[in-house]
Amino acid sequence: MPGIDLSVTVKGLTFRNPITVASGTFGTTGEYSDFVDYEKLGAIITKTVTVKPRAGNPMPRIFETTGGMLNAIGLQNKGIEDFIEHKIPYFAKIKTPLIANIAGENEGDFSLLTRMLHKHKNVVKAIELNLSCPNVEKGGTHGMKKKARMKDAVRAARQETDLPLFAKLSPELGDVLEIAGDVLEAGADGLSLINTLKGMAIDIEKRRSRLANITGGLSGPAIKPIALRYVYEVKKNYKVPVIAAGGIMTASDALEFIIAGADMVAVGTANFVNPRATLDILEGLRAYGVRHRLARIADLRGSFSHL
Amino acid sequence: MRTDETVLIETNRRVNEKYFKLTFLSPRLARGVKPGQFMQVKITPVFDPFLRRPFSYFRADGKRVEMLYEVLGRGTAILSQRAPGSSLKVMGPLGKPFNAKAKGKKRVLVAGGVGVPPLVFLAETSKADYLLIGTKSKAEVLPKRELAKVQAKILYSTNDGSYGTKGFVTVLLEQLIAKEGQENLYIQTCGPTVMMKAVMEAARRHGIPGEASMEETMACGVGTCLGCMIKTDKGWTTCCTEGPVFSFDRLECAHAGH
Repeated sequence: MPGIDLSVTVKGLTFRNPITVASGTFGTTGEYSDFVDYEKLGAIITKTVTVKPRAGNPMPRIFETTGGMLNAIGLQNKGIEDFIEHKIPYFAKIKTPLIANIAGENEGDFSLLTRMLHKHKNVVKAIELNLSCPNVEKGGTHGMKKKARMKDAVRAARQETDLPLFAKLSPELGDVLEIAGDVLEAGADGLSLINTLKGMAIDIEKRRSRLANITGGLSGPAIKPIALRYVYEVKKNYKVPVIAAGGIMTASDALEFIIAGADMVAVGTANFVNPRATLDILEGLRAYGVRHRLARIADLRGSFSHL
Repeated sequence: MRTDETVLIETNRRVNEKYFKLTFLSPRLARGVKPGQFMQVKITPVFDPFLRRPFSYFRADGKRVEMLYEVLGRGTAILSQRAPGSSLKVMGPLGKPFNAKAKGKKRVLVAGGVGVPPLVFLAETSKADYLLIGTKSKAEVLPKRELAKVQAKILYSTNDGSYGTKGFVTVLLEQLIAKEGQENLYIQTCGPTVMMKAVMEAARRHGIPGEASMEETMACGVGTCLGCMIKTDKGWTTCCTEGPVFSFDRLECAHAGH
């Protein structure tokens, strides 16, 4: 049985299948290696890396909610130098394209990070620009709300590389359709939709927030319908590659996004609940392909039809 | 090696007023486990509760895993209702274990609440000298059969004095320090935060080394979500992979003023 051709080609870059992982949910090197053969994934998206190391936010940082969780990690990471010294050599040995996710406080940061990563093109195959972290003071949704700054960040990265650039957006930034147009005009090749949505939870006994940061990013099945709607609307308006994320727990969730038009699907919070979520979803896609006699996953993409 | 398995509940019943005991057969989850390590358990086959729950190992003999747990919230309440024959997804063994020896020292294990199972496991599989258990009352004391394999001397304290010494477990600890001499002891503790803080404060005052198994809300259990951070001498670190057992001298909360 030949089975479905799951490969996806985006801006000249071919992924063996559409399954990837959402930034910040798959560790920095081999945290899931006992559970997942990394070479079976379509791509690996790294946790956000910044110019300087970041300690992250105070505790508590996470809280379980109905159908999901809130997090306010605050882009904890060891900085770009450590990333290049320790993380890139790890991924150099893995035959799966690496997509580096970066965030900055200004266009200078985006410029520097992209320039440094561009030198490791043999490993880093694309860059995802995190313009929408809800949990940091500078940069993220807070600082990027001014449209000009967001475009400057994308332009700065664009000037440093010919690697595919994906801008990661969230409705927290404003009108997603409008912003999508802006970042594409500024040089982004594709979009990542969506980041977490800002939310909160209160401990009624202590009358305090469940998170030290007060608010956090909501992820998980609770946000899936919202993410799906944005992927659908954006793909209807722009013919650009989209990496979809938002509550993808099962193959059926992933298929909804692909039918809505997603090129790649990023499994995020599901990794915390099921360490094998990525591979379980991949098996589910194959089974669906057989059941629907599909030759290629590309034939399914954007096949959504109005009644 | 860490593994994630679907297991069938063999037994799941109430042990006393405080604890339930759940057992399942799984050679892969029961092999090479050390006391202090934990499992991430998916309580139901659906995504509600959404996240897994961490549980320490109570026993693991290479074939069978035993869990001893308290009903503390919605997740454990649902778990207590799961019937034998139904399935759970369990990931383990996770985290760093307790030391099984302390050269030239007598080991004192100080347990309360959720800290009882890993320390009974430690006392059954290594040569500790004392196991101190603090509970509210006699109704929460473990049945004798659950402590039969413990070689260490077991001392109980109850808040209401209905069993063992009256008062907090630190009363027993202070008596023991006076009897054995602070320079001869090594403390290993796990239990409610308030109890562990009091134990670590006593240890600090007497200059006694030791280790504590810390608890934080966890999502992934494998060091990726960065949700369960503990403040150590080297800054924030993940409780799930760098711990849950930490040496007192690494823990900021073990120092004065915390």
